[in-house]
Amino acid sequence: MKKKIAALGLCAAMTAGMMAGCSSSSAPAGNTDSGNAAPAQTEASGGEEAASEDLEGTLVFAIWDNNLMDYIDSNDMVGKFQEKYPNAEIEVEKIKDDSEYWNAMKMRASANQLPDVMFNKPFTLSRFQDYLLDLSDLEATKNNELAAGYALNGKILGVPMTAGYEYVFYWKDMFQEAGVEVPTTWEEFEAAAQTLQDYYGKDNPDFMAIALGAKDEWPDYPYMEFMPALQGGNGQNWNDMAKEDAPFAEGTDIRTAYEKVYDLFTMDVFGKDPLGMGNDQVTALFAQKQAAILALGDWGLQNIQNGTDDYSQLGTFYLPVRDSASDPFRVIVQGDSFMGVTTHSKNPELAKAFVEWFYSEDWYPGYINYVSSASSMTNFPKEKDPILAEADALQPDMEMVMYDGGGDDFQAIQNEIAFDYKKLGAQMFTDGFDLNAELNTLNEKWAAARTKLGIQ
Amino acid sequence: MKSLEQQKRIFIALSLIIPMALLIGFVVVPAMDLIRMSFTDWDGYSQTYNWIKLDNYISMFQNENLWQSLKNNAVYFFGHLIFIPVELMFAVLLTSKLRAAKFYKTMVFMPYIINGVAISYAFSYFFSPVNGAFDAILETLHLEFLIQSWLSDPKIVNFVLTFVSLWRFSGYHVILFMAALQSLPQDVQEAAQVDGATSWQLFRYIQIPSIMLMVDFVLFDNIRGALQVFDIPYVMTSGGPGYASSTFTLYTIDTAFKYSNFGLASTMAVAIMAMIVIIYVIQNKIIHGIFLRRDKG
Repeated sequence: MKKKIAALGLCAAMTAGMMAGCSSSSAPAGNTDSGNAAPAQTEASGGEEAASEDLEGTLVFAIWDNNLMDYIDSNDMVGKFQEKYPNAEIEVEKIKDDSEYWNAMKMRASANQLPDVMFNKPFTLSRFQDYLLDLSDLEATKNNELAAGYALNGKILGVPMTAGYEYVFYWKDMFQEAGVEVPTTWEEFEAAAQTLQDYYGKDNPDFMAIALGAKDEWPDYPYMEFMPALQGGNGQNWNDMAKEDAPFAEGTDIRTAYEKVYDLFTMDVFGKDPLGMGNDQVTALFAQKQAAILALGDWGLQNIQNGTDDYSQLGTFYLPVRDSASDPFRVIVQGDSFMGVTTHSKNPELAKAFVEWFYSEDWYPGYINYVSSASSMTNFPKEKDPILAEADALQPDMEMVMYDGGGDDFQAIQNEIAFDYKKLGAQMFTDGFDLNAELNTLNEKWAAARTKLGIQ
Repeated sequence: MKSLEQQKRIFIALSLIIPMALLIGFVVVPAMDLIRMSFTDWDGYSQTYNWIKLDNYISMFQNENLWQSLKNNAVYFFGHLIFIPVELMFAVLLTSKLRAAKFYKTMVFMPYIINGVAISYAFSYFFSPVNGAFDAILETLHLEFLIQSWLSDPKIVNFVLTFVSLWRFSGYHVILFMAALQSLPQDVQEAAQVDGATSWQLFRYIQIPSIMLMVDFVLFDNIRGALQVFDIPYVMTSGGPGYASSTFTLYTIDTAFKYSNFGLASTMAVAIMAMIVIIYVIQNKIIHGIFLRRDKG
């Protein structure tokens, strides 16, 4: 019997080992040679002509973006780079999506195996800050209008590839038929959604005034992630919350914003079962005019256009979070896809040269015009797609809020109490959900986590 | 000159070196490291960590969402357990001289060889509240009153996901049972038939006891599979709404990668190991108690 139990233990160990093996085999202890790999800061600019011949080696460039991958393939990025740097080789490593990307990067960071050039989001910059080189001296950084705003401890660790804006897509003809104007306040937004649901929902039980694939949870981010920052006009909202014991108390930006979201989510304007559908499904339905409104980033435009042949009536406006027309109209802007050079790079000078080249005339203008996102470079401005430009035309006096995804302290608390605002948003659709009780519990957990983690 | 016995021992020892090295390198060492990590607060990417004694174990036992996830695993476990006799019956049926048995065998096994993520994705659309095939079937049959929020009602979502899991894995169990049944010596069965044994007696007193090893394996596979189910809830519901369809593995992976708490996630992985062993031993005692004791008697 003992032998049998031992054999069983081994089997169980094998199954659990498979699950956690990747992580467990890369123990953090003794992981100290990242410092050795980090060279002294070097200047990539200046004397470029002569230097380009000298720079040699292989770079691993890890990406997750499908549009970027398509553009790299169809425009021979490696070949073009080699025209300037003939002794350089680039391996482009495509990872399925950004979630998978972070999982892979975390494991590779602990195993000293990060690619030479990697991307970050605003909320991952602080997580990987120990593994990224300061790019303050690059021309690309100086020409980038957002990079400096995301500096950590005075170091610019990534150059954002695009400027990300959030839009509310809508069908103009459907608004017109239902007699709805583009809303400019939160109250008007709720009223517009209700009118649309009543008008189209009476004949079509599947109709959604607002399309939201809450089954995937993440698609509620325009509401759950950005509205607290828009409410108070504070892009540093998450970081400020980390300094308080009760950030979800009555009257705080996040509570006010989440109360608004809760009101909207419980209005029955999201169709019969928003939790039963994912983002792909609702985007396809929106493209077929089975929904009138869809809030997504600028990247969503391509997905919508792929789902329909006729998008002549497609329009955009910015999510109106303000309470009255006399309040400032705030709009989120964030740097996206921060290209950085890692401390694990064996050819950091070449990697920096690659970043410079990527954001130079040889490559960046073609790429930025290929995607629907906005340019982040002052030397290569880009005219917005006419559909996206409509939102700007509707709000000429808008106030930009530069969004920060939250630094070390916020993320430490978030991890400690498993605070997932996107999941919280999806839960708002469930029967019996009590927002007040939930926020009060979060306050208690938040304070306890701050004490435990010693965050002041 | 070495004796034959010595040579045999040397041969066995040499043959075992590579498998043992692989086993130690890829199973034993990672498992030991997993246990070691379960006592730390490592976040998965920092170069340092702290020893925090039993904090992770205490935190795990106090985690309501994890318990909720474990309850959801129980739905898969019991769903598959109840289905095992049905799978066994199918196997017996397909092993007998049935017309077009090969076709049925292929059909039964097909879901298992299709990619799990693809199946989950397809079933997401099948159960979709808008343009969903399942609702359309019910409407065609004038059974509209049965239509539910299949993937978003916390009361039924786990049963829907378990159904998908059954659809996918039952064929695998049927094939395993069939392989075991086909390996039984025909003479014993024929002798029993000559002695006047009915089909049920043949099944109960000859076939079942003879394939008990395979039944054991399927039962073990059921426990392991039920506790480690991941792809179906991950793709179809993301564990939601809330944690209503989350599973132990889904929660463990979220703990490690979403909340960067590899220490706690390792503790959960150790707990899975322990649970698999404990549940298997208990289940084995019960099942063997029922069948073998009666046989002895």
